[in-house]
Amino acid sequence: MVLATVSSSLIFLVSLGLIFSEKIHRMIIGMAGAALMVIMGKLLGFYSESQALAAVDFNTLGLLLGMMILVALLEPTGFFESLAVWAGKFSKGHPVRLLVLLGTVTTVVSMFLNNVTTIILIAPVTILICEILGISPTPFLMAEALLSDTGGVATLIGDPPNIIIGSAAGLTFIDFLIFSLPIVVVVLLTTLLLLRYLFRRELAVRPRKMKTLMRLDPAEALHDRKTALKVLIVLGAAILLFSISHLFNISPALVALSAAGVALVWVRPDVKKTLEQIEWSVLFFFAALFIMVGGLDAAGVFGNLVRLLEGLNAIPPVWFGVIVIWVVAGLSAVVDNIPITIAMIPVIQGLGAAGIDIGPLWWALAFGAGFGGNGTIIGSTANIVVATLSEKTRTPITAKLWNKRGLPVMLATCAVATILYILAFPLFPR
Amino acid sequence: MQIKEYMKKNVVSIPKTTTIGEAAAVMVEKHVGILPIVNEQDKPVGVVRLNDLLELEMPDFIHLVEDFDFVHDFGAVETTRPTHKQLAKSVVTIMQSVTTIKEDCGLLRAYASMLQNDLNDLPVTAANGELVGIVSLVDIGSAILSMWSKE
Repeated sequence: MVLATVSSSLIFLVSLGLIFSEKIHRMIIGMAGAALMVIMGKLLGFYSESQALAAVDFNTLGLLLGMMILVALLEPTGFFESLAVWAGKFSKGHPVRLLVLLGTVTTVVSMFLNNVTTIILIAPVTILICEILGISPTPFLMAEALLSDTGGVATLIGDPPNIIIGSAAGLTFIDFLIFSLPIVVVVLLTTLLLLRYLFRRELAVRPRKMKTLMRLDPAEALHDRKTALKVLIVLGAAILLFSISHLFNISPALVALSAAGVALVWVRPDVKKTLEQIEWSVLFFFAALFIMVGGLDAAGVFGNLVRLLEGLNAIPPVWFGVIVIWVVAGLSAVVDNIPITIAMIPVIQGLGAAGIDIGPLWWALAFGAGFGGNGTIIGSTANIVVATLSEKTRTPITAKLWNKRGLPVMLATCAVATILYILAFPLFPR
Repeated sequence: MQIKEYMKKNVVSIPKTTTIGEAAAVMVEKHVGILPIVNEQDKPVGVVRLNDLLELEMPDFIHLVEDFDFVHDFGAVETTRPTHKQLAKSVVTIMQSVTTIKEDCGLLRAYASMLQNDLNDLPVTAANGELVGIVSLVDIGSAILSMWSKE
């Protein structure tokens, strides 16, 4: 059994190392690592094909796929662009008001839909609004990147780490609304206040063409109103069902996939185009990571881990969560938060087996993975997308700028989350 | 039926040392849409087109937003001019590669080259590579069409 433990740990750690190096696409490493894990498991007799299949969390994959299909249908309608135009118009061109509105719109949309899609569609319109006004788009673009990650933390479906955590810990949509949403609201306000201060010079500029902005029409940006309405109705129904699905023992995956099915029947899009919008590499990567972690479990790695971690019982549980928030946040700031989350889950489960109260730790993991990504320009996909987009403009966002304006936001939001975590600690479900 | 019979011989060209601002002034003065850039031997090394200069004033969002039908007024962009620093830069920084044609080239051959490279003007060179003229799509096209009524 020692050989099984060592070989499976080696496969997992080398794969993780390669994923963190970000030199080869993570999906390729995942597939190779998963295949290697199953082959090794068969050779040494600790892991079989059926065990590997059982290790894949189809609840996570189904939920992701269903939401991806809904977004793929909504994306070409101009709905996201129209929201940004509306925010611009409603701000009447006042920079601070524009920051608050665009930031809040991004947060709310990211609560339910993919962060990267939200950013890819809202950021270009933000640049448009700023150019029409004659002001720098940098504060607004950074706010959107920072807040799309923040918004994702608020709900079960907001961000992949939440979906994985929710599935592993059995947390419901309502649990997230009760324990995560209030914290995200405070974090949103903190972020906006801090950005208001950090960008005080840029935001003090009085735009020259406020009247021109008022002539933009959100309805015109929404070029396929019918489809947008259909998808939004289905999405609304799905969100409603998410919040009551646990009462009827329906999995979130079933809700998401049924919603996608209904939307597909109602909209009847060009299937090829819709499927092209699905991020298949993400789904394959998730499946591969689940298979690898399943191999570790079957090889008895977590059993050994639990024995190693038993000494940690001495640390007070509150501080244990605080440590998890900052360690995970620190890691998420430099690498992708998905492998970190999937790797942390067995560790937390191991701690649970060692007798530590892990109920609150799941929330610490969600906050660390969600807010930590804001720390650097490469900390989350949303940040990378915004930076790449800004490179095509006259005012590129550099890593140096991010360290000056983004890192303080990450530190402040993690600090706020830590304080709220400590205060809410007695309330978390066990 | 060679290009040299139809080309404009008084071609306006600029040396590599020209600044962007000076190139713009030449375009305005001579009312042309393309300026071949030549080296000391009068050989073309690149071109700068009207579009390359106008790009300096284009808003960034044009390249990022798929459709801008809902934007009826570009607002501040309309009155944003390139900075003095931008205008003082060498024209070489924005020049495009040049496709030339020899003066003894046939008309259809020249037109095919324009079509393939999506060009509206072709600088014409002598056998030694020296710039001797320039020919536009309209020059070539009308020359070819005029044959139809003659034959």
